Amino acid sequence: MPKSMNMSTWMKAVQALLLAVAVCFWTGAASDSARFNDLGHRLMCTCGCAQLLGECNHVGCTESGRERNELSAAIASGATDQQILNSFAAKYGMTVLAAPPTRGFSLVAWVAPFAVFAAALLGTILLVRHWSLGRAEAAAQAATPEMNALREKIRRETEAGGEV
Amino acid sequence: MAAFGSFALLIALALAAYNLFAGAIALRLIATGQPARISPERLADTARRAGIAGFVAVTGAAFALVWSVFANDFSITYIMEHSNRALPAPYKFAALWSGQEGSLLLWAWLLGAYGFVLRLLHKTDVKLYAYAGTILAGVQVFFLAVVNFAAPPFSLLRGAIPDDGNGLNPLLQYPEMVIHPPMLYLGYVGFTIPFAFALGALMMRYPGEKWIKITRGWTMVTWLFLTMGIFLGMHWAYAVLGWGGYWGWDPVENASFMPWLTGTAFLHSVMMQERKGMMKSWNVWLIFSTFALSILGTLLTRGGLVSSVHAFAQSSIGNWFVTFLVIVLAVCIFTYVLQRSHLKSDQRLESLVSRESSFLFNNLVLLAACFVILWGTLFPILSEYVQGTKVTVGAPFYNRVAIPIGLFLLFLTGVGPLLPWRSTSLRAVRRNFVIPSIALWGTVIVCLAVGVRPWHDGSFDAGNFYALVAFGLSAGVFTAILSEYLRGANVIRKQTRRNLFSAMYLLIRRNTRRYGGYLIHIGVVIVVVGLAGSAFNRNSESELTLNSTMSIGPYTLQCVGFTQDSNLNYNSEYALLDVYQNGKKQFQMSPEKRVYLASQQPQTMVAIHSVLSWDLYVVYEGTNPDTGNPIIKAFLNPLVSWIWAGVIFIVLGTFVALTPSLAPATATVRLAVPQATPAEAAIRGGD
Amino acid sequence: MTELQGVIVGAIMALALGTYTFWPENAFASQREKTRLDYLLERKEQLYENLRDLNFEYRAGKYPEEDFLTQRALLEDETAQLMAEIEHLQQA
Repeated sequence: MPKSMNMSTWMKAVQALLLAVAVCFWTGAASDSARFNDLGHRLMCTCGCAQLLGECNHVGCTESGRERNELSAAIASGATDQQILNSFAAKYGMTVLAAPPTRGFSLVAWVAPFAVFAAALLGTILLVRHWSLGRAEAAAQAATPEMNALREKIRRETEAGGEV
Repeated sequence: MAAFGSFALLIALALAAYNLFAGAIALRLIATGQPARISPERLADTARRAGIAGFVAVTGAAFALVWSVFANDFSITYIMEHSNRALPAPYKFAALWSGQEGSLLLWAWLLGAYGFVLRLLHKTDVKLYAYAGTILAGVQVFFLAVVNFAAPPFSLLRGAIPDDGNGLNPLLQYPEMVIHPPMLYLGYVGFTIPFAFALGALMMRYPGEKWIKITRGWTMVTWLFLTMGIFLGMHWAYAVLGWGGYWGWDPVENASFMPWLTGTAFLHSVMMQERKGMMKSWNVWLIFSTFALSILGTLLTRGGLVSSVHAFAQSSIGNWFVTFLVIVLAVCIFTYVLQRSHLKSDQRLESLVSRESSFLFNNLVLLAACFVILWGTLFPILSEYVQGTKVTVGAPFYNRVAIPIGLFLLFLTGVGPLLPWRSTSLRAVRRNFVIPSIALWGTVIVCLAVGVRPWHDGSFDAGNFYALVAFGLSAGVFTAILSEYLRGANVIRKQTRRNLFSAMYLLIRRNTRRYGGYLIHIGVVIVVVGLAGSAFNRNSESELTLNSTMSIGPYTLQCVGFTQDSNLNYNSEYALLDVYQNGKKQFQMSPEKRVYLASQQPQTMVAIHSVLSWDLYVVYEGTNPDTGNPIIKAFLNPLVSWIWAGVIFIVLGTFVALTPSLAPATATVRLAVPQATPAEAAIRGGD
Repeated sequence: MTELQGVIVGAIMALALGTYTFWPENAFASQREKTRLDYLLERKEQLYENLRDLNFEYRAGKYPEEDFLTQRALLEDETAQLMAEIEHLQQA
């Protein structure tokens, strides 16, 4: 069936695109201020406000100022992004990282959504295929005069698309 | 008033319980046909009237609470904690839902109000409404039990009565906060109605799909409230929290978003059941999950299970909600298993290329998004259980996982409307894709030309990449929907020889649901454009002395003064900034910081200047303790106003979809006109 | 309002609402069972709508002619059978 071939190549293209998007991760930006901004959005403020460090601005926050200074110092010292994140995690605990790390059990957090999405996509495609296999052709109907009269009536009443 | 309020709540609970039990017994008697001393229909009617009376009682209780707030009755704990004498009147109303007990009372009242309307309209289908009303009474019993026993709003303060209250949380002292929570609650609570109808229809083995038509209005109104609640919340976060954004993937935001996603999926897939009798089990489970998710949302946020910026109101009512959730799920599963033979449906698709299959994918994507959010919200708990350490699942996670899914959904929004119901071939609709594709690629090229590039200094910039995809898709989807309107209007124009505009009007009038729905899609596209703008947000922070300046984007901000002020409710500090563009003074802004007296809580008041292309968003960060100069943070947030503009389309579209369609002329009317071989006319194209 | 007054007002409200609920009203709506005919008529309405929509979408250029004719024949047959049953039930 060329139709469904078209469809499945199209679907594959979509999947490939999604996969490409999925594996793309942000790479470190060049300048210090950009790095500060980037890292500030990968760390949490630890005061309990549940905001990103780069965005925490509630007045009187006791933590974010100190954390930001530490972050600036770490960037100035020439540490890599990963080193900085590790040192923050070591100091404040894992919850300071705004997203789960991509190793150990926490990797599951990243993999599960895509795995579930892929499985559901596959399931839906199979389901649609399965359902459309039983494609009904116009079965030969009893062509009694009564039935023909009914069909004629139905067509008359529906063909104009509902004149108003 | 406290005594009256408590008493009214008890009466309401008693009436709801009577409604539940008498209703259930009556329905059981009618279903089994057992002889009874009292006519079961009469019993069912007293149950219905108990529901109506119950609403009056809850209204009495809600009135008592509002009255007490205005009367500054600080002998009631809740009012002492959430209000004070200096609080402006509109916010005294807001005190009704600013704390746990009040919100639950509001919830019970809204549930009562929905039930009141439902029970008045019962003549539409007496039996179905009796089932729905009884199920609804079950939910009411739960909420009324909670406000009576677990979180009583009228409990009295022990010891001496203070002269003034603690005041309302300053974060909530903002105009939108007066309407955001009730809207959201109307949305949450409203899903109880389609849930009650779906469960009721299943219990009574309702023949046919008419119940879907009956509940359609309810579902759409509920969906609209939830949508508006979410967007008002976003706007509140943007205008009040002062971090320059509107969506932080906070557990509470997620909790409101999940039922929205499943509810949206339901609104789409239920059309397949209505038209073709397909997907019956699926739809039933969609609406069950939507209801369960709105209960889970309350549990997550109110039960203190996850931490959140919305922790205004937490307590131990979590256990009540867990129990209720378990009961709800048990009832749903039990009913489903018992009646599943009733849900046998004709699962037949004529073709892969059809509106039906696009709806299947739409449902898949919406549910995948819902799963991602549920997963992200619950993963910290799971992680703590499995590996012993809690992790944070914050914005970076959702941005990476949910954005691709969202873009795929946007893509489907464009493809779906181009496909007809039942069946067609790609060949037939291929030409309908030409113009949208041109629009898509044209936009991508233009974006690349003006500098929206996914590659930045030799490295990949995911934010820009997503924005590029979003802009391209938005243009494509917008053109697709527009061409859909034009194609339809053209058919009518040929049929009736009207001009294009009146043909377009007639088109929408004839199928309000479809074309109102498309209007909602246009709104969604506009919202997406606004969201994509966030990839280009900029900000800068500066300590300003008198007459010094700072620049952001095209604007230069000059500090012309900073001063202090105070009133009964708060003390404030603010800066006066003249804003220059191209060397000319354009306008003045005054970002502010307040400290509320009653609660001693500080609060920023953001100054926002909004135009179509961007928002200039200025925050008074505080003063430098050494110099006493104000620290100003300015954001340039592109396209934010598009989000709020898109919402207007969504609301408008929903209203259109709620308007009944014009009925097609009846056969008798048309028979008066002599018909020339109608079959041929249809084949030729009907002109 | 004192506590006593509150309780009295509450009691009056309870009495009024109880009276409303249990008032021996004879004009209550009866729960009529939906008949097969009701169901078929609803179904017919839906099938008509589907057919009108099919015609409309065909004119809007979404179906090749052969697909349209097949789909229309299928829907018309289904509707005709339904209407035959309706007529049969209405005569009975």
